[in-house]
Amino acid sequence: MLTSIIKRDGRVVIYDRNKIKMAILKAMEASGSTDFEKADLVTQAVEQHFNMQNSYATPSVEEIQDQVEHELMASGLDNVAKRYILYRASRNTIRERKSKLVKVFDEITFSDALDSDVKRENANIDGDTPMGTMLKYGSESAKDYFLKFLLSPDQAEAHRDGYIHIHDFDFYALTMTCCQIDLIKLFKGGFSTGHGFLREPNDIQSYSALACIAIQSNQNDQHGGQSIVNFDYGLADGVRKTYKKLYLKNIAKVCDVLGENVSYEQLKEMSAAITERCGAMPKITPDKTYVALELEELKKLCKDPAVAEKAQKFALEKTEDETDKATYQAMEAFIHNLNTMHSRAGAQTPFSSINYGMDTSDEGRMVMKNVLLATDAGLGHGETPIFPIQIFRVKEGINYNPGERNYDLFQLAIKVSAKRLFPNFSFQDAPYNLKYYNPDDVRTEIGYMGCRTRVVANTYDPNNEITYGRGNLSFTSINLPRLAIEAKGDEDLFYRNLKKYLDLCVKQLMDRFAIQKKKRVRNFPFLMGQGVWIDSEKLGIDDEVGEVIKHGTLSVGFIGLAETLTALYGKHHGESEEAQKKGLEIIGFMRRILDEYSDRFKLNFSLLATPAEGLSGRFVRIDKKRFGEIKGVTDKEYYTNSFHIPVSFEISAYDKINLEAPYHALTNAGHITYVEMDGDVSQNLEAFEAVVRCMKEAGIGYGAINHPVDRDPVCGYNGIIGDVCPRCGRRDGEGVPLEKLHRLGLYKHLNAATLGQCGNQFEEADRIPNKI
Amino acid sequence: MTYNPDTQMVGEGVKFERIRRITGYLVGTVDRFNDGKRAEERDRVKHDPTKC
Ligand SMILES: [Zn+2]
Ligand SMILES: [Zn+2]
Repeated sequence: MLTSIIKRDGRVVIYDRNKIKMAILKAMEASGSTDFEKADLVTQAVEQHFNMQNSYATPSVEEIQDQVEHELMASGLDNVAKRYILYRASRNTIRERKSKLVKVFDEITFSDALDSDVKRENANIDGDTPMGTMLKYGSESAKDYFLKFLLSPDQAEAHRDGYIHIHDFDFYALTMTCCQIDLIKLFKGGFSTGHGFLREPNDIQSYSALACIAIQSNQNDQHGGQSIVNFDYGLADGVRKTYKKLYLKNIAKVCDVLGENVSYEQLKEMSAAITERCGAMPKITPDKTYVALELEELKKLCKDPAVAEKAQKFALEKTEDETDKATYQAMEAFIHNLNTMHSRAGAQTPFSSINYGMDTSDEGRMVMKNVLLATDAGLGHGETPIFPIQIFRVKEGINYNPGERNYDLFQLAIKVSAKRLFPNFSFQDAPYNLKYYNPDDVRTEIGYMGCRTRVVANTYDPNNEITYGRGNLSFTSINLPRLAIEAKGDEDLFYRNLKKYLDLCVKQLMDRFAIQKKKRVRNFPFLMGQGVWIDSEKLGIDDEVGEVIKHGTLSVGFIGLAETLTALYGKHHGESEEAQKKGLEIIGFMRRILDEYSDRFKLNFSLLATPAEGLSGRFVRIDKKRFGEIKGVTDKEYYTNSFHIPVSFEISAYDKINLEAPYHALTNAGHITYVEMDGDVSQNLEAFEAVVRCMKEAGIGYGAINHPVDRDPVCGYNGIIGDVCPRCGRRDGEGVPLEKLHRLGLYKHLNAATLGQCGNQFEEADRIPNKI
Repeated sequence: MTYNPDTQMVGEGVKFERIRRITGYLVGTVDRFNDGKRAEERDRVKHDPTKC
């Protein structure tokens, strides 16, 4: 029986015979035919055709219209058929013009990014540039196609109606989210970017340059942010190589000045031979055996043994400082490059993050100190660097308490974060992070990336519970407040629907995984071709990646726990202890279901505290339309991020941290807690540090502190600017008299003639950033 | 940098940069963000750290 039909957007609706009849009548009218009774007969014939087919397949609108055409002609109503075909074609054009995709294309084509939410969806892509616009057309068409043809009807409906949100949907059938890049493994023996081979780097400058290239190359293979898991250990080897090089050059220099004929090449050979004998080489904390053996050999090379002694002494004294300076420059370049480099068709600066904090070697410490100092100094004109996200690993016994080896770096990290907002802090001692940590295996140190992603447990391969070379495959978030509103206070109904959508998300993640599995190594020339992803080095270029990507995670996220609790119980978890209990029950339930799926499929399903992203406005917009304005639920323009206490709720830092910490333990795919601090925190480092320590003690896994960081591009002032710039006295958008800037010691070499109407390329060089 | 020779003023029309963290990333201005994110940033209140 013909009972239902499939509409053009994929929805199934009840069959309505009147619609067919009306269309035929219209065509008759237009063709001047008056055989109106035949409209009924033709309609019946069409129905009969589909009933006769003896098939349970539901016909599409197009199939039905084809059949109407056929029956009109079979009944000799040729003129009516012609009209019907014309009418159908014109309706199609109108429909095309009205289709969502075309409307979106209109917006991309004709509106400015400032007025367009579509264009601002990803703030990191400049929606006004030609390349950014091209990406937008591609992305919107891809989404349209995936929605109509790759999702099952129930998934498409849930995504379209805002019950769930499939993240990075424009990349649905293309790639995976992200990977923690291990620089040591990557650099060993050199690597290929897909555009050429790069030799193993041999000093800190080239280490830093290649680290940038690694981030950029991986950006082309994956759709998420890029992360380096071992920035400290990874670049320490570059410092070692630079030290050795500068050390031998210093010896050569002194020999040369004092009239000895000893070349750098000779010294390299000598040093290599000693390393062969004793296993040590020149390094920041000198190896006594090496130094003694080297002096012996140097004396053989020099005519005057006193020169040998002087040369070695000079090198031992000077080289550390020079290496330190070279490292600073390399870190400065690294940050500068990450803030200016472009990728993905030139429209997007790569989202990048780096993890460090626990390497206690001299060289690793030198890397960390200098990346922090370079961040503190800022970009060319003292601007706060936007990239990379820096994540400082805090660990008792290594950097948390006075007297510990890297305590000085923890203190420096606090000072820099209080000025520049980065680094954020990850906490190795949080029980759920500590349980994977093995002090003898750096690959078990916790890693976070982008704004929060975390991958460490491994149900697929319990021998590889590590952070290196792994990442998220894809994630989908559930609109929790919607389920709460629809439950109308019925807790059981809420949990039943939550289970239903968890199941649906898992199924959808598996469907997407089935597509990802079929990709081959050659689809990811860097990620898989260069062995960045764990175990990919064991695959050939034409092998499928299906098995190795099982090391990745499939994550379900959620948004708006606060609104969910308000809708269900009248209060959110910041307002009532009872609500906090209920909140932990809900999130604990989600985690339990995902753990069960992990065990069942031997895959890594995990629970994500979704970082809102493009979602923050979308869900609530739909829900406000459906359910109206509900106080504390749909009355804002956004739903609260994951398990966060609402941003507008008055609460102390201590209470916020302690209420959010238990959710970190449950959200194994990633989480972050923010604290907002007022005023110039760089003048109150004790308070800043107290908040970080409070996070650690509460069992937070990953946290950051927000505070105002302003800058006046005219006078270069960095700090807090209220209505008036404290240095030059201008208001937002106002000009400053040139003469006043001169009095402040700025724009010294510039006058009205050199500055010119459009500015002058040298003017900014004159600015002095204010003192730290 | 802009310079207006008539008034001898530097920087007319140049806005202050206000670096903020939006969904985990730092931004120089919130203008490029969609309405939900902008509203979220606007609504944030400070957390008193004294109990920490
Ligand atoms: Zn990630
Ligand atoms: Zn100023």
